[in-house]
Amino acid sequence: MIETESGVFLEKTKKDEILTPETKIDKSVKPVLAMSNEKIVIETKTLDFYYNADAHALKNINIHIPDKKVTAFIGPSGCGKSTLLRCFNRMNDLISDAFHTGEILINGVDIYKEGTRLEDLRKQVGMVFQKSNPFPMSIWENVAFGPKVNGINDKDELNEIVESALKQGDLWREVKDRMQNSALDLSGGQQQRLCIARALANKPEIILMDEPASALDPISTGKIEETIEELKKNYTIVIVTHNMQQAARISDYTAFMMLGELIEVDLTKKIFTNPTQKLTEDYITGRFG
Amino acid sequence: MNSAKSYQKKKGTGYVFTSGLGLVISLAMVAWIIIIILVKGLGFFWPGDVLQVKLQNGDSYMGELWDEHLDKETLVEETQIKIGNRDVYGRDFIWLKNNEIASRSYPENAVTFERMEYGNFYGFIKAAYLDDKIVQPGDGETLKDVVFDVHDQAMDTKEQINDLQEEATEIMAPLAEVQREMTLLQLAGAEETATGKQQFDELQKKADELDKEISPQIEKINAQLTTLVLRDRASYLEVETADGTTKHIELSSIVRFFYPNEMGAVSKSIHYAGKLWEFVADNPRESNTEGGVFPAIFGTVLMVLLMSIAVVPFGVLAAIYLNEYAKQGAIIRFIRLSVNNLAGVPSIVFGVFGLGFFVYAVGGSIDQLFFSSKLPEPTFGTGGILWASLTLALLTLPVVVVATEEGILAVPRANKEGALALGSTKWQMIRKIVLPNAMPGILTGLILAISRGAGEVAPLMITGVVKLAPTLALDGSFPFLHLDRKFMHLGFHIYDVGFQSPNVEAAKPMVYSTALLLIIIVVLLNLFAIYIRNNLRKKYKTSTF
Ligand SMILES: Nc1ncnc2c1ncn2[C@@H]1O[C@H](COP(=O)(O)OP(=O)(O)OP(=O)(O)O)[C@@H](O)[C@H]1O
Ligand SMILES: [Mg+2]
Repeated sequence: MIETESGVFLEKTKKDEILTPETKIDKSVKPVLAMSNEKIVIETKTLDFYYNADAHALKNINIHIPDKKVTAFIGPSGCGKSTLLRCFNRMNDLISDAFHTGEILINGVDIYKEGTRLEDLRKQVGMVFQKSNPFPMSIWENVAFGPKVNGINDKDELNEIVESALKQGDLWREVKDRMQNSALDLSGGQQQRLCIARALANKPEIILMDEPASALDPISTGKIEETIEELKKNYTIVIVTHNMQQAARISDYTAFMMLGELIEVDLTKKIFTNPTQKLTEDYITGRFG
Repeated sequence: MNSAKSYQKKKGTGYVFTSGLGLVISLAMVAWIIIIILVKGLGFFWPGDVLQVKLQNGDSYMGELWDEHLDKETLVEETQIKIGNRDVYGRDFIWLKNNEIASRSYPENAVTFERMEYGNFYGFIKAAYLDDKIVQPGDGETLKDVVFDVHDQAMDTKEQINDLQEEATEIMAPLAEVQREMTLLQLAGAEETATGKQQFDELQKKADELDKEISPQIEKINAQLTTLVLRDRASYLEVETADGTTKHIELSSIVRFFYPNEMGAVSKSIHYAGKLWEFVADNPRESNTEGGVFPAIFGTVLMVLLMSIAVVPFGVLAAIYLNEYAKQGAIIRFIRLSVNNLAGVPSIVFGVFGLGFFVYAVGGSIDQLFFSSKLPEPTFGTGGILWASLTLALLTLPVVVVATEEGILAVPRANKEGALALGSTKWQMIRKIVLPNAMPGILTGLILAISRGAGEVAPLMITGVVKLAPTLALDGSFPFLHLDRKFMHLGFHIYDVGFQSPNVEAAKPMVYSTALLLIIIVVLLNLFAIYIRNNLRKKYKTSTF
């Protein structure tokens, strides 16, 4: 597993002279997987992202993410997985100096098109963060937060939404008798499932998850994975993970990134058994990092 | 190695000792001032025994023992007595040399009178008169029983007089209004134009009609009043001072009287409680040196509330803008620095600004626009509780801004991003996530603002505080809250009574009592805000995970 900062990683690779990305990427192999028979939900075209003029975080990303599937992003720390994920719901807009070139399409529509309401986009593309971030409110209030800010005020309707979201998040059984208790009194795993349920309450189409289980114990992680398994029937899920086994277990497609570049995307089975790129193979077999 | 270690240790102990000493000294000073204020402020209301002294030269004085000391030059013990009877002696206190005092006694029948004017009177009651006729005690009655009874009667009469006077003012009100309009017309020079003259004549006719209509009622009331006032003046006590001078005291001018030397601890305590109550619930008497301070308490609390209402929204909005909306950079840094420096500007400067901006500019314009009929008499164009509160709000704004900013900075970024990721707008995020979480910080700012604002006197003196406000800013007449009215304030009261009153020595205890009250009120207001803050803290305690 890769725990090092990107800088440390670079230093190490140079010193060991095992790999330099430029030499090892086989440019003859197309990194973009054209998933022929599937509906594409998210698509990027020659996406370049800069945190500022000197920090080029994403380089020429072209990817297709299919509908109602789990797509996992793997890669060494600092390679830009979170950055790419945060492009999909425009969370990077919060960073004042950041800018991008290229296009990001969701259902074929440019999310930066003029007249796009940011609130609608984020309702459509939900997000679960690495560290669970329940609001200091009751459990009920947490889950109802999204529908409420999106204009639903009817109490019965809200109750219904909260219940179904918590059921989908596999938390209903545990909290149904203490909906008015503070969400902060839940355990770490429960808090993360609450955050998933909170995202689901908005009835999104896509759910972005940035290392949702990395701070949890194995049992909680298992529960989250079960939840994801259940969710992919109805949602398109994009997940970042450092845990290779996890990617292999839950995802249909896996994308491997390195130093801001998308190296390879393919069916998870193929990536883990017979990757096209040497770099991918080295990473998966743990030969560097 | 060893010596270095012990040296370091020694040095450390020195620092600990010095800082500890500093803390102890400041705590001791705070405790000292509070104890002084408590003792002197609370002791004032205790009914002291009345001491009678006879001097070797035959003079005799009576009053409360006030102080004793050794004169450093003559090395003679001296005793200070509060002899009261200002209308007789022309002073309240006297220093007597102990070696000239022949005898001291506490006569049972000595009486302390608290009067509406001229301070206390110490003496003996000789007889009571109602309507110029002496009232003899009946069978089994003592003179003492009689005097309390006649005092009650006199107080009733006084109340009747007040009621009748109020009634008369009410009846006269329409006529007074017409007359005021006529004066205004005259002032405006209306008599020189034809229409003006016509208007004036119409008003004159109306006034005459009204006059005819109400004069029978007024005459009736006046007749009643005359008898009552005459009776009031002819009801008095005949009293004698320690040296045998007799004097008449009108019964209605006596607030209360009692026989302190006969009173036990219980009745003294009851008396004490009554006096305390009078202090917090009554109007002041005798240019503020006697009676209560209720209007000042009311003014202080109302002003602090108005100030809070004004300062919190502005301070919070400013802090939100600085942290959430403004693009961080040199300009914002400069603004932040300026706001912080505002806290260091002397308060009188704010007062001058308040006078120039709020009173003259804003108040003057309001008068022009809405109260032009009353001009040249100003309504809002003069000092008032609203302008004073706003001036203090300005003064305390930096405190609220800084504290709120700290509260906002403490809100976890993850929570803010979480709210935005759920599709909330920035404002929804601020309202639902940032503000509730920053609430303890905001209240800390409010607490600091109250502490600073409640004690300020200088800026108030030029923006609306007065030594005696005849009417409270909140009353039963429409529109109930009269923001244009002048008001009294405990801080100013201390200054006024302690340094501006004609009889500083007699007013000294009042200064302590008022200071104590001011401290108590500031503490209570703060406790209230702290209570709310702690409740909110519990509610918004940050995630443990
Ligand atoms: N706000 C920012 N400003 C400037 N550079 C940033 C910012 N956030 C991230 N970066 C840089 O962008 C690069 C990609 O960061 P990103 O967070 O996307 O990595 P990641 O793949 O998610 O890593 P990890 O697996 O450790 O989470 C890193 O080199 C990082 O230092
Ligand atoms: Mg990341």
